[in-house]
Amino acid sequence: MRIAHAAWRKASFAAAIALVAALALVAAACGSSSPSPAGSSSGGGAPIKIGFFAPESGFAAADGASAHDSAQLAVKDINAAGGVNGRQLQLVNYDDASDPKQAVTIATRLVTQDKVTAVVSGSYSDQTLAAAPIFQRASIPVLAAYAVNPGIPATGDYIFQQDFNGIVEGRAGAVALITNLGAKKVAVIAIKNDFGTSLVEGFTQEAKALGATIVATDYSQFGEKDFAPILSRDKSKGATGFYMAQYYSEGQQFINSWNTLGFKYPLVGTEGIDSTTQFFEPVGAKADGLVFTTPFNRDSTEPAVQNYIKAYTAAYGHAPDMVGATTYDSFLVLAQAMKTKGTSPSQIRDGIAATTNFVGVTGTIQKYINGQVVKAVDLQIIKGGVPRQYATLDDPQLITP
Amino acid sequence: MVLSSLINGIVLGSLYALIALGPTLIYGILRILDIANVAGLTLGAYTGLKVFEATHSLLAALVVAMLASAAFGYLLQRFLYRPILGRGPLIPLIAGIGVFIAMEEVFRLVFGPYPLDFPATVPLPTVHVGGAVVTGVQLLILIVGIAVLVGTWYSLRRTRLGLLWRATSQDTETASAMGVNTGLVIATIFLIGYALAAISGVLLGINYNTVYPTMGDIPAYKMLAIIVLGGLGNPLGTILAAMLIGLVETFVVAYLGFVLPRDAIAFIVLIVILLVRPQGLLPGESFGS
Repeated sequence: MRIAHAAWRKASFAAAIALVAALALVAAACGSSSPSPAGSSSGGGAPIKIGFFAPESGFAAADGASAHDSAQLAVKDINAAGGVNGRQLQLVNYDDASDPKQAVTIATRLVTQDKVTAVVSGSYSDQTLAAAPIFQRASIPVLAAYAVNPGIPATGDYIFQQDFNGIVEGRAGAVALITNLGAKKVAVIAIKNDFGTSLVEGFTQEAKALGATIVATDYSQFGEKDFAPILSRDKSKGATGFYMAQYYSEGQQFINSWNTLGFKYPLVGTEGIDSTTQFFEPVGAKADGLVFTTPFNRDSTEPAVQNYIKAYTAAYGHAPDMVGATTYDSFLVLAQAMKTKGTSPSQIRDGIAATTNFVGVTGTIQKYINGQVVKAVDLQIIKGGVPRQYATLDDPQLITP
Repeated sequence: MVLSSLINGIVLGSLYALIALGPTLIYGILRILDIANVAGLTLGAYTGLKVFEATHSLLAALVVAMLASAAFGYLLQRFLYRPILGRGPLIPLIAGIGVFIAMEEVFRLVFGPYPLDFPATVPLPTVHVGGAVVTGVQLLILIVGIAVLVGTWYSLRRTRLGLLWRATSQDTETASAMGVNTGLVIATIFLIGYALAAISGVLLGINYNTVYPTMGDIPAYKMLAIIVLGGLGNPLGTILAAMLIGLVETFVVAYLGFVLPRDAIAFIVLIVILLVRPQGLLPGESFGS
């Protein structure tokens, strides 16, 4: 009996080891932290290495997956169309797990070991800000796909922002809520990070300039589930219009609370909720009437937009979101810059800086000023659970950072 | 506003109590803060969601989720905790945290990184109580919460298992010497503790209509605050602490707004109470005796 027990223990120990080994294998196979080359090296000359990082594990893994999938799709599409000057692009992908320290390690590795020619950040502002100085020192051009912190392009002349910054988007949100929807006394409920704070900064400036009163500004944390108390408080302070600078998860809970209270006030959101799978579908018609600011107009008649939506949906089985769209655009801008100015890092930098009126999947990039993109802000309205084109804000004073 | 805050606070407190009860029972018997229990919560939520999608039965979803999580808990105690029990409290704690983090990534690899919605409709009406609204889901949480808490209290005070749990938690060696099969008691407590985690996971998923790989992050540290506040391993203390934190959080947000991160509130309550009562609300491991 004792011996049998010992044997069983041994066997179970072996089973445990095997389980751990199997898990390690799975992790290695899916190893998001090891570079995964996408695209072959056919065509003339060595492939051009493009570094890429996104939060592919951890709490922001959904955005990381959207960004990474779009990056792969972009490289595939560019290579299928003949690459750049006969050379193929090669994606060097890393997972930063939403950790700025990890982003610094990745940036160092991309520069010193992988020796990439250019970089696209598919990550949030914190990681992008931490990594940017390393690329700037190494003179490697970076396009931040959707990070909105105005400090990112301020790092130096090699760092560019592909999405309009938070200030510009916040101003556009104020125009939507006050001019378009006619709210006079407004309350702001924003997520407490640099995405939320820079949106609120722009919103507050513009709302005051338009003569509205801001009755309350509150910041909520990641993972907030219950907005009913704060909405009731804002109502009792006289708010008749609301600015919701939240991400899709918190936005979904916001809409739940909004409906529980039976609110019918004008409501404006941001690109933080711009996701079909994570906001429009789960929330459905409950968010009807919500207007939000975004660079991604799904109703656009531009073939680039419709082709991207079709190709992404076919490849990944669900509709793309704004995070993926701006990532895809970043690669298109890089390829365009290489075609016009050349494929060395400094030529790519010059090429990006010289971009004018480039039609991408997130609108027309008029130009870059100090590394910040200038393009129109799209207003979309949710109708029957689907985002629809509502208005386009292209006043130069409003959209120039 | 007072009444609706009171109701919201009690519902939140019931959820917290459900989340923290399993780890409290486990702490009481092994002196291990079992963070991996929260992986059982997420496992329960995903299992419940998948079963619900296949059968459209909330009951089936709950039962299968409880079975899956209980099996996971049994394996953990058998192959992870039992072999390292004699090595002090830190090693099992770190091992549990390791399992918790690893499981989050396993959930991501298996179910994908995108949050899934849990479109269950609860067969309970929305009740209006003097201006306050109690939704069907909230009612379900209250009913399940009360049933589970009363059931646990009854089991611990009035059944043989409860007696064995109390004996083992007071002194494992003496209990063992008196002929208590402590291994079996530990295994049973893990089965129960993880089944409770599965219930919490399914209720969380339905209440917020979302299930995602890292849904256990916030419950994990809130559960820690609640267990310590309750007096470490005291089930009644845990329930009191859960209700206290649920109510304080709700009232602070309702009357002061988001002055503090919601999760900081739990820890501020913890610090204040521990300054006054270092032993926690109800010290010891008995069920309020």
